[in-house]
Amino acid sequence: MTQTQSAPPATWSPPTPEQTAALQRPGTPTPRGAVAQWFEGTPGRMRAFLVLAAAVSVVFGLCAAQGFNQSDGALQRAEANAAQLVRIQAIHTNLVSANADATNAFLVGGLEPPVQRQHFVDSMASAARLVAEAASAQPADRDALGQLNTTLVTYQGLIEQARANNRQGLPIGSQYLRDANATLQNDSLPLVKALVAANEKRVDSEFDGVGNGVWWVLLGGLVSVLVLFFTLRWLAQRTHRYINVPIAAGGVVVLLTTLIGGFALFAASGDAKDAHDGDYASTLALSRARIAAYDARSNESLTLIARGSGTAYDTAYKESAATVDAQLKKISVSSPGAGLWAKYQEAHAEVRKQDTGGNWDLAVQIATGSPSVTVAQNSVEAFAAFDKATAKDLDGTSSGVSTQLKSARDGLPPIGWLGLPIGILVALLIAWGISQRLGEYR
Amino acid sequence: MKKLIAASVAVLMTVTACGSGAYDATVIPPKPQPKAAAAPVAPAPCGDTKNPLRSYAPENVSLSSPTLKKIIERKRLIAGVSADSLNLGSRNPISGEIEGFDIDMVKAVAKAIFGTDVGHLELRVISSPQRIPVLQNNEVDIVARNMTINCVRWQQIAFSAEYYHSGQKTLVPRDSTAKSTTDPELDGQTICAPAGSTSLDNLQKVNPRVKTITADTDTGCLVLFQSGKAYGISGDDTVLAGDAAQDPYAKVLKEKAFSAEPYGLGINKDNTDFVQFVNQVLANIKANGEWAASYKKWLEPALGKATAPAPVYGR
Repeated sequence: MTQTQSAPPATWSPPTPEQTAALQRPGTPTPRGAVAQWFEGTPGRMRAFLVLAAAVSVVFGLCAAQGFNQSDGALQRAEANAAQLVRIQAIHTNLVSANADATNAFLVGGLEPPVQRQHFVDSMASAARLVAEAASAQPADRDALGQLNTTLVTYQGLIEQARANNRQGLPIGSQYLRDANATLQNDSLPLVKALVAANEKRVDSEFDGVGNGVWWVLLGGLVSVLVLFFTLRWLAQRTHRYINVPIAAGGVVVLLTTLIGGFALFAASGDAKDAHDGDYASTLALSRARIAAYDARSNESLTLIARGSGTAYDTAYKESAATVDAQLKKISVSSPGAGLWAKYQEAHAEVRKQDTGGNWDLAVQIATGSPSVTVAQNSVEAFAAFDKATAKDLDGTSSGVSTQLKSARDGLPPIGWLGLPIGILVALLIAWGISQRLGEYR
Repeated sequence: MKKLIAASVAVLMTVTACGSGAYDATVIPPKPQPKAAAAPVAPAPCGDTKNPLRSYAPENVSLSSPTLKKIIERKRLIAGVSADSLNLGSRNPISGEIEGFDIDMVKAVAKAIFGTDVGHLELRVISSPQRIPVLQNNEVDIVARNMTINCVRWQQIAFSAEYYHSGQKTLVPRDSTAKSTTDPELDGQTICAPAGSTSLDNLQKVNPRVKTITADTDTGCLVLFQSGKAYGISGDDTVLAGDAAQDPYAKVLKEKAFSAEPYGLGINKDNTDFVQFVNQVLANIKANGEWAASYKKWLEPALGKATAPAPVYGR
């Protein structure tokens, strides 16, 4: 600086940028020049390797932490979303079950069997509780659940009006019941189905995401091992020492972290896949089977209510029943569900036989579990047995999903929070190793 | 080297699509738009100037005639009826039986065939738009569901002689001071009629100043009335009487009916033997007091005294 100032031009004119640059280049270095000088020559290059290798090590630590956090988070979210999906499916099941009770009760008129009424009340209460739980568990579902709640208030109001009118023997009760049924079918269930679809998608994307964390660890590991290897080789060539122990130790730490981390994540991803294809798939299939079964049961009642003109409901029954069979085949746990469903189907066949044979009253007695018909034919008890058995299976598989995912998470080494300390440790080892060699240049 | 790291990190970021747990809100499905109801078919003027009420002359048809033979072999008469029109055909929620004036008509027919209707009468609940198709497809033998005889329907099915002469009136809240359907008090009020029915058409013709709202069935209108979405209901006096009986806050306007709704029993067009048989049954019950007893039981309390309509034959 002093040189340029000590010889000012005779006639001063503002220097062009090029001139300024040209003026500044020679002589004592600018701050930028100081950095360049620091990296000059062999010690400078050593320093460059130190900075690069240390930075890469820290980045590796971050990558490993990111990979583990990502997989761990995906497992956690898969579990949470699977639980939410089970909750929504339970809402669905409770609603169709309540509706099946309400339609079946219509067949017996104003005098509902107390057990059936209690079952209806319990189903609606569970649904209401689950809606609140689901809304706090998944903020993204809140709006849809709010809407669902609105429709449920309408539905329940119509059902109570239907009951009040039926109790007085007024035919308008049946119209309120039809309106209630229409509210549930047209307003509530589409919302529930949208919720189910959205949550299934979330669960699937989280299950897929479990395996992605491993790429962070592997790529980060590969890059830093390569950088460390080149550093070692360069040092060996320059300093004629075969090995730099601290850097090699750093390399071993990186390699071990990569291998252990990679294996752990692969294993967790495998566990997640097992849970997805095993208990989770069974949970889905059981839920779907139960929902279809309740639909079928409602349609059995609706066919009878329509008294001979219920062909559409009977077709709907057959579709639902086929869904139940198909879904029950998909479950991997041993379940008495299929056998009990076959029993119910037999009772249903008897109902249809009596109805089409013109014996509507007997058909209704079988369908409503009138004590005057024998137990072997009673469709109410046959259905209750199926319901109870599959509910138990569903409990088992859905808690199986969360147990498996939890154990997959618990099995992960704590690299999520150890990743950065490991990276810093390796960086320090590199600094130590290179500073030994740098010391020889003083 | 640094560039490589930056690039690989960028690639990793995209490949792994960092899940943060913040999801898009669940999409709320749009509400399905209700389908516009089919426009009511206006009763076409009869091609000939003759009375649409003409049916086939009654005859003591032999029980071996084709239609009757089929019914007897089946051991039961299948009738399409309503289950929610109080006093015409409605399910008694206490007994579970379907009962009413329309039901008594088909019971009389079953009795004439089998000697008793018990165990020989199957009632199929049908909706109003199903009335003609179920007859055309031979799913039922006879339809007794407050069905108005008119020329358009004669082209598709056959009718018995008229068994009740109904007409359209309007039901309003108990405290309404309106005198008739055309009363200015009803101007701008919402009146309900079943979608696609002739009642809706008639109402719009007689008082175009009312706002109309539709429901799928007559009882659907009563639900709208009770929930305050409709001020009144317009329809056959028989149906309205049933509605008023279920709601103490409703009354049927004491006006002269503004349309004629002659009720007939619907039968497949080809089964003229059965029409003749049914006409004989109707003639018998009108003569022996069964018709009057049934009317007295179901309709007289709400509609006042009436006599059986005189049959018209000659088709």
